[in-house]
Amino acid sequence: MVSSNTTAGYGAGRDASVPRYSTGIAKVVNSALYQHTLGAAVESRIGRIILLAGVPLIWLIMLHVGPIYQMLKISLLSHYPVQPGVESRFTFDNYAIFFRESLYFTPLIKSFIFATAATAVTLVVVYPVAYYVAKIVKPEGRSKALLLLLVPFWAGELIRTFSVIMLLANRGAVNVLLREIGLIDRPIPMLYTSFSLGFGLVYLICLYMLLPLYSAIEKIPSQYLDAAADLGAGPFTRFRRIILPLSKDGIVSGCSLVFLTCIGVFATPMLLGGPTTVLFPETISGFFHGASDKWPVGAAFALIMLVTALITAGIFMRLVGGKKRSAF
Amino acid sequence: MRNMISDAPRTTLTAFYWAFLLYLLLPLTLMMAMSFKDANFVAFPIGDWTLDWYAKVMADKQFLEACLYSVMIAAASTLAATTLGTWIAMLIVAEGIKGQVIIFALACLPAVVPGMISAISLRIFISTIDMPTGTAAIILGHTVHAVPFVVVMALTRLRSMPGNLVDAARDLGADSVVAFFRITLPYLGPALVGGMIFCVLLSIDDFVRTFFLGGYRPTLPMLIFAKVQGGMSPEINAMATLVLVVTAAVGLYAEYLTRRARTR
Repeated sequence: MVSSNTTAGYGAGRDASVPRYSTGIAKVVNSALYQHTLGAAVESRIGRIILLAGVPLIWLIMLHVGPIYQMLKISLLSHYPVQPGVESRFTFDNYAIFFRESLYFTPLIKSFIFATAATAVTLVVVYPVAYYVAKIVKPEGRSKALLLLLVPFWAGELIRTFSVIMLLANRGAVNVLLREIGLIDRPIPMLYTSFSLGFGLVYLICLYMLLPLYSAIEKIPSQYLDAAADLGAGPFTRFRRIILPLSKDGIVSGCSLVFLTCIGVFATPMLLGGPTTVLFPETISGFFHGASDKWPVGAAFALIMLVTALITAGIFMRLVGGKKRSAF
Repeated sequence: MRNMISDAPRTTLTAFYWAFLLYLLLPLTLMMAMSFKDANFVAFPIGDWTLDWYAKVMADKQFLEACLYSVMIAAASTLAATTLGTWIAMLIVAEGIKGQVIIFALACLPAVVPGMISAISLRIFISTIDMPTGTAAIILGHTVHAVPFVVVMALTRLRSMPGNLVDAARDLGADSVVAFFRITLPYLGPALVGGMIFCVLLSIDDFVRTFFLGGYRPTLPMLIFAKVQGGMSPEINAMATLVLVVTAAVGLYAEYLTRRARTR
């Protein structure tokens, strides 16, 4: 079986002594090792399927689903990591803790308020920009106009957050400027408040909104607008009746992306927020960096956050989109 | 041709675009400017200018080590994510395989799960398989994070590929493995290079996964985070500026590559 495979499948009547490939890959393909392993495997249908699907499926199940599954499992245990002498049993207690204490409830509500507000502000601010680039800039200038907006995107979460401090600190640019022109005597405390956190969040995520909106608006044929104008529709009517409905897909995916990113932001609230703006990720983090036997509670809380965030995004997609769509 | 969009909204939108661009660039510009301040505290106005902070950062062993460590993690996770992402994309476009929609949804899952939750679930996962926190765990976490993006980029390119290219190769005697390496992979090339650079940037920027999966050796974002929490100094600005300039150059290059790939 194995020895006959050296020639099988490469076309009948071919002289086996003539190398089949003349460059680069030839050595590998003609080696005995290849022909007895991979080469043999791809000869059969089953072998091809295993070769194609094996690694991807193992990876997807182990590492895309596995961590979430393990988190679910541990959230239902009374103790984890397992300690000698303590028996871990099945319990819903970790979820009950969340509803018992407002100490935990409030940060989740705050997380949702911040994420929702940041998403709304981002949508309102970025929409005109996306519209401008997609419809007003001439086609040949579009990629340049877009590229300019993408420059800050390469700075990374932490550096962008840090740069907001330069703007809002007590001796930051805004306060110094206001004092120079005589509007204020002493600095307005902006940093470490909900304002700085909201400002930072919007600054951090606004570009996630830009690309989905841009690609949706760009697809709207300009003739539609011309036709509407010919029929007497003013700019506002054209926007409300044509552009807005036709860019709905972009709005839905942009908002979902921004909302889900906002909910999971961890470093920004820690750097820009103050004692009154403890958000849910920081609360959850406490269970993993404090006493280690609180892991099940942390896992339960993370799942509560994941499920509520996905449900919120899902409801939004249904309400606005009208049909099911993924974030991509 | 008549100009349908009258001038007033056009001017307003143009002004809005430039104002928005200013808003995006101002904080970063201020941050860069502050790195030249000749004083050991962060405050405006800048006053005297100096390059001393850069000299200090370049001589800072901790910073250089963090750079190397970050680059090493980025290279490893990018290599793994590109291989796996391409493999998954090949599975999704393969003929005669059922459940492609489910496979695609699973592949995108890590991109939909908020970063914080993804980090925690991975932290729990590595503890259930007795893997210690540290370099390997960070690489694993960054790979999981990057795979969905590679899958989407590779899929876009694969869907535009004429099917008869591979058929021709098969007719000429190539088996599926050879056809993949000789035909499909070179065709994917430009899209994959763009995707790889994107993965590198994702990995170098990542904070939350590294925070939960890392050991005591700091990556670049961890180092900057620790320094910011320890107190402001223009030294951090110099550090952040250097990182920003390098990542922006790399990002610009990736943009150029993907653009070139698209127009070809």
